[in-house]
Formats: sequence, C-alpha cells, structure tokens
Amino acid sequence: MDLIYRFAQRLCGEPDAAKDIVQDTFLNAYRGFKKFRGDARVSTWLYTIASRACLRMRRKRKGEPERELSLEEFIPASEGEFKLQIPMDGLTPEEALQNKELRRALDQAIEKLPPKYRMVLVLRDMEGLSAKEVGTIMGLNERAVKSRLHRARLFVRRELSARGIARQGRLETDTEERMAP
Amino acid sequence: MRTRSRTAPIRKNPQHQRHGHGKAHCLKILKQLSAYLDDELPREICEEIRRHLGACPNCEEFIKSLRQTITLCRHHPVRPLSPTAKVRLRRQILKVAASLRYRA
Repeated sequence: MDLIYRFAQRLCGEPDAAKDIVQDTFLNAYRGFKKFRGDARVSTWLYTIASRACLRMRRKRKGEPERELSLEEFIPASEGEFKLQIPMDGLTPEEALQNKELRRALDQAIEKLPPKYRMVLVLRDMEGLSAKEVGTIMGLNERAVKSRLHRARLFVRRELSARGIARQGRLETDTEERMAP
Repeated sequence: MRTRSRTAPIRKNPQHQRHGHGKAHCLKILKQLSAYLDDELPREICEEIRRHLGACPNCEEFIKSLRQTITLCRHHPVRPLSPTAKVRLRRQILKVAASLRYRA
C-alpha cells in the first residue's frame, strides 16, 4: 500500500487523489487477479494498474492533451542556457531539498511534465525501476523509455535551473540594493 | 591506486576556457547525456564524451546540472500515509472488495 501511495502521490501530486488511486489499484488487482500470469513481479503488475488508474483520473479531471517534448526545445540557444545552475552546490540532496523554494520548484516541474514523460521519470528516477520494467508497465520498448526519460530530465533541469537563476538574480539585486549609497 | 570514474571528464587543458569545436559536436553530446550518466553507452563513446567534457566548459556545466536534477529526483520526498489513514483506507478497500465478492 505504501509503495502505490508513494507512486500515486508522485504522479498526481495530491494526497487525496493518491488515496483514490490506491483504492482503485487494489480493487482492480482484486478483480483481475485471475489474469495475473506471474511472469512479472507483483509490484510491477500493481504499478501498471496504478499508472492506468492515474492516467484515467487525470484525463477525466483536466482533459489535458498529451504534448510531445522535442529534444530541440532543450538545446541551449546561448552560453547562459548551457550554464544554468541548480542552487545545491556543496549540499547533499536531502539538505538541498530542505530549501522550500527548490522543493516547490521540483514538485512544480514534475507536475508540469506531460503525463507520459512524468510517468517515465517517476518510475525510473524516483521509484528506481529499470528501463525494462518501466517498458513493461507502460507498454513501450526500452529505447522509447530512454528517449522519454532523457527529455523528461532535460525538462526538469530547465525548470529547476530557471528558478536557480531567478534566485541568484534576486540575491544579486538584494546585495546591490544593500551596497547602494 | 586511483581509478577514474567512467563519467569523470578527461581534461585536455586546465585552462579550457575556449570553445574550440563546433556547436554540432555539443548537440551530439547533449543528446546522449542521460545514457552516459546511466552508464548505458559503449566504452568508446564514453571516452569521446569524457574528452569533450574536459574540453568544453559549457557541456561540463550542463552535465553537472543534469546530474543534480537526477539526484534531486532520486531523493524526491513524499509524505507517507499516516497509520490512521492507512487503516481507514485498508478498511474501505476490504469493504468494497467484500461487496464485489457478494455480488459475484
């Protein structure tokens, strides 16, 4: 239950929706248990059911269209874009994520990802599944999983870095204001 | 004995401040960075990327922020279900499952 709740919350971003997905997942698993052939792990099977439940819920709620992310949109157009930085130098990830702004930026970046990219990122980088397992869950070959994962990571990087720049800019502005005569 | 990480850049010149190659080469590298960080590329391509990173400060900065992004995602915290909420949810699921059994 904890596994599916964590996954659903990462995918949907809301605790209440995540609870609904947990319920849907276990009831659908109960209904479909006879069809479970046992050639995948039970957790993989549950992730598959949960991911479908989550996609159904999102479609129903927001009617959000699937958007393709092209690799070209992440190719830096200037030296500055190459050098976008995330404000976590010298910090462990846990310490960095104590920064509320960074944590919010990460949540929002994940939320903004088109669903099919978000699902790959959540399953692969957050839940720690292999590309093969993600492929099984999403009905994709490994190549497609890796391609979506790369785009999803580039998207999140850009979102986080943009925040980093904004933050740095503000700090610099503050310093300038303090130093002004 | 010190061993080099498979993803550590090979530095050609510590003063590598100049961009002495075409942008197309950077784009080719950027397209492969996730596979590189996940250690999925053949050794010769890894070598080529490491050489490029050692000579290209832009791509080195880029990969640093991409690596940080992945690290943050791997540590993305989620508040767990409280024990009370878990019990309530479990009861709810069992109740609906029982009604399904009854209907069947």
